[in-house]
Amino acid sequence: MNKILLNIVMLPSGLWKKMGADVEQLRAILTVKLKMDDRKPITIGSQRRQNKKENKASSLRAMFLTAIMGLVYTMTLGMLLAQGVDTIFSFVAYYSFFLFMLTFLLITDFANVLIDTRDKFILIPRPVNDRTMVLSRLLHICIYLFRVVFPMSLSGWVVTGFFLGWKAALFFPIPVVLLAAMAIFFVNGIYMLLMHFAKPERFKKVMNGLQLVLSLLFIGIYTLNSPMITAIMKATQTPVDILKFGWARYLPSYWLASLWSWVGYKAVLPYTLLLGFVAILFPIVCLWITIKYLAPSFISKLGALDNVDVHETSIVSKKSSGKLYKRLANLLNRDDALKAGFIITWLQSTRSQTFKMRVLPSFVLVPFYFFSLLFMNKGGLSASWQHLPHTKTYLVLLYMCSFPLIQASAYVTISEKYRAAWIYYAAPIGEPGKIMAGAFKAIWIKYFFPFYAFIGVFIISIWGPAAIYDLVLAAINLTLYALAGMLVSQRFFPFSRPDQIANSGFKTFLRMMLATIVIGSLALGHYFTTIPTTWMPFPWLLKIIFLLLSTALFWMLWDSYKKTDWNKLKTAEEFA
Amino acid sequence: MEPMITIRYLRKQYGDKIVLSNINLEVYPGQIIGYIGPNGAGKSTTVKILTGIIQDYDGDITVGGKNLRDNVLEIKKMIGYIPELAELYDQLTPREYLNFIGKLYHLPDATIDERSTKMLSSLGLLSNIDQRMESFSKGMKQKVLIASGLLHNPSIVILDEPLSGLDANAVIMIKELLQVLKQEGKTIFYCSHMMDVVEKVSDRIILIDKGNIIADGTIQELRQNSTDSLEQIFSKLTSGGNQVENADAFASAINSSNSNS
Repeated sequence: MNKILLNIVMLPSGLWKKMGADVEQLRAILTVKLKMDDRKPITIGSQRRQNKKENKASSLRAMFLTAIMGLVYTMTLGMLLAQGVDTIFSFVAYYSFFLFMLTFLLITDFANVLIDTRDKFILIPRPVNDRTMVLSRLLHICIYLFRVVFPMSLSGWVVTGFFLGWKAALFFPIPVVLLAAMAIFFVNGIYMLLMHFAKPERFKKVMNGLQLVLSLLFIGIYTLNSPMITAIMKATQTPVDILKFGWARYLPSYWLASLWSWVGYKAVLPYTLLLGFVAILFPIVCLWITIKYLAPSFISKLGALDNVDVHETSIVSKKSSGKLYKRLANLLNRDDALKAGFIITWLQSTRSQTFKMRVLPSFVLVPFYFFSLLFMNKGGLSASWQHLPHTKTYLVLLYMCSFPLIQASAYVTISEKYRAAWIYYAAPIGEPGKIMAGAFKAIWIKYFFPFYAFIGVFIISIWGPAAIYDLVLAAINLTLYALAGMLVSQRFFPFSRPDQIANSGFKTFLRMMLATIVIGSLALGHYFTTIPTTWMPFPWLLKIIFLLLSTALFWMLWDSYKKTDWNKLKTAEEFA
Repeated sequence: MEPMITIRYLRKQYGDKIVLSNINLEVYPGQIIGYIGPNGAGKSTTVKILTGIIQDYDGDITVGGKNLRDNVLEIKKMIGYIPELAELYDQLTPREYLNFIGKLYHLPDATIDERSTKMLSSLGLLSNIDQRMESFSKGMKQKVLIASGLLHNPSIVILDEPLSGLDANAVIMIKELLQVLKQEGKTIFYCSHMMDVVEKVSDRIILIDKGNIIADGTIQELRQNSTDSLEQIFSKLTSGGNQVENADAFASAINSSNSNS
C-alpha cells in the first residue's frame, strides 16, 4: 500500500525537481516517514511484544472503518439526490460536510506532522534543502490524507454512480482530490504564515492558541452548518428559490460543486461555470505561495523552535491555582497514591497542548448543539426559546454535558511524553488503581463538575427547582458511563500511552457513536421516568429505583476501578 | 595551513538572555578540539550553529573556506554530527535508519550497505541490525548515532557527548577511532563533560563559560606548571573550586528532611 502511494506522489518528480527539491532525498524521507506511521510505538507495558511481525492489516482496518464513517456524509448526499434536489446544491452540502471534517482533522493533527521535533537533530544537520523538507512534509500529509479521504469518499462515489450514472461516477474523484488539496494547502498556508511572522520565542504559544481557536471555530460552524444546510435544502427545491442563495458562491464547497456544471449539470446561479476555475486555482496558488515564499524561512524557524523552550522559562504562578489543586487533592483523597494521581492529572491536563486540543472543543459543542437543536425546530429560534419551559429539552442538554467528560477521560491516559510513565513502574505503588482513580477524580472535578453546575443553574432558572432530581440522576448516569469506558478501555496510568495520529480521528468518531447510543438510551430511560404514565401508579417510585440502581452500579464500578491491580493493568496493556 | 573552521565574533541571544557573547576560534585540519564548559555555558548552542540547526546568529563562520551562511548545504555535506540526545527515528531498525541517512547524502545503496554492516559489526551491533531501536539501550542507540554520523565519511566530525551510555569496550574503541580519524586528517570537535576523556584525546582544549572562551590551549598550557587534572582546572575556572562545600550542603539537606522518610 505504502509503496503504491509513494510511487504515485513521486510521479511528478520532474515538477518536484523544478520546485527545487532533491528527488532522491525526498523519496528517502517519505519512505521512512510512512514506515514509521505504520509501526505502533512500544510502550513500557508492551515491551514483550516488540519482535512480533508488524500488523499490516491494521492500516487496512483503519481504512475500512473510516469508510463506514464516510457513510454519514454520503447519507446526506443520497437523500438529496433521491429527492431530486438541485444537483449542484446537493454537492454543495456534501462537500461542505466533507471539507469541514477534513479541515478539522488537519488543524488538530497537522502541527504534529509539520513540526516533528526529532527532525531537528536528524534532518536539519544533513544536507537537505528547505524545499525538499517542506515538500516532504506536504507530500507526507497528502498520503495521510489520501488514506482518510479515499475510504471516506468511497460510499459517496457509489451513491453518485447509482443516482447520476457511470459518467458522473467517473468525474467524482476530481472535485474530491481538489477538496483535499484545498483543505491541506489552506491549513498548511496558515501554519507557515504564522511561522513566517511570529518570533520563534512566541511561535509555539501563538500556534497553540491559534489551533485552539480554529478548532473551536470549526466545531461551532460545523454544528450550525448541518441544520442550516438542511434548511437551505428544503428551500432550494425550485430554481426560483435557488436564486436567493447567491451568497453560496463565496463558499469553497460551492466552487467545488460548480465543477459539476462543466460536465453538463445545469447551474441556476450565474457565473457558476467560472467558479470551477477558482476550485482548481485555489490549491495551486496556495501551494505556490507556500513553496516560493514561506518555505525558505521554514527551516531556520524550525531549528530555533526548541531552543526556545530551554531559555524562555515560564514561571508558573505560585498563588491561587497552586493552592486550589493541592487543597482539592487533600480534601478529596485520603490516600497518597490517589493524591498523586489527582495532582499529576490536574497539572498535566492544563499544560499538555494535545490534551487541551482534544478536550476543550467539546465544551463548545454543547451550547452549539443545543442551539442548533432549537434552530431546527419549527418556527425557528425565538419560538422554540419561548416554548422551552414546556419541553423536556433540558434532559438533552444535561446528557450532552458528557462530551467533555468523555473526551477528557479518553485522553487522560495519552501523552507525547508517555515514556515518562516509567516512574509509576519504578515507584513503590501497591495498587495502580489508586493512581488511576485519582486521575479520574481530577478529570471529573475539573472537566465535568463546574461545567455541569453552570448548565445546572441555567436549567433551574428556566425549568424551576423540580429539575434538581434530574440533575442528580443525569450526573450519576454520566459519571457511570465515563467510568465504564475507563474500566473497559482505559485501565492505564495517566499520560502513559502514545497517541496514534493515523486513526485517532476515527477512534474519536467511534467513541462518540458508542457514547451517543449508550447515553442516548440512558437519557431515554431517564425521560420515561419524567412523563406521567398510566401503567405505573407511583411514578416517583420509578424515579427512586432508577436513582438507586445507577448509584449502586456506579459504586461497584468505582470500587473495581480503584482496585485495579498490577495483573489487571498488565492484561489491559497486552490487549491495547 | 588554512584553518578548517573559523569562528569570528559569534554571538547568539534569545530575548535578553545572551547565550554566546563573543566566540573567536580557529580550528585546523587534523586537530582534535575538546570543547568543554559547565551546563548552560553555550557548548550545545555553538555546535547547533556549526551544524546548521540554528541559522540565526551574529558573527561569521567559515568552514573549509566557505561562509556558513551562504553555503549551508555544502558545509553540511562536510560535517558528520553525532548529537548528545539519543534522538533518532527509533521505530526503525538500524539498517533502515542508516540506509535512510545514506540516501540523504546520496550514497549508493551498495556503499551504504557495506559501510553500515561493517560499522555496526565493529560496534558489536550486527546481531541487532534488523531489530527496532525502540527497545535499544541508550548505549546501543548511541552506537547507531555514531555510525550515522560517520557513514558519509565526513571531513569534520562534531561529537556532542558521544560516549554517554557506552560500555567500557565501546569507549576504548571510540577513543582509538578518534585517533585514527585524526591521522586521516579529519577535524574533530569534541564536546563533553567527561574530563578524563577530553584530557586524553584532545590536542587542544577550549573552556567556555557564560558564552565566553575563558581558556584555550593544550592540557600542558592549561596546567601552567601545576599538576592539576583537567577536572580540577575546570572547577577552579568555572566555580572557584568550592564543590566540596556544595557537597556538604547537599548531604545535610538530605539529613534534615529525614523525618519524612
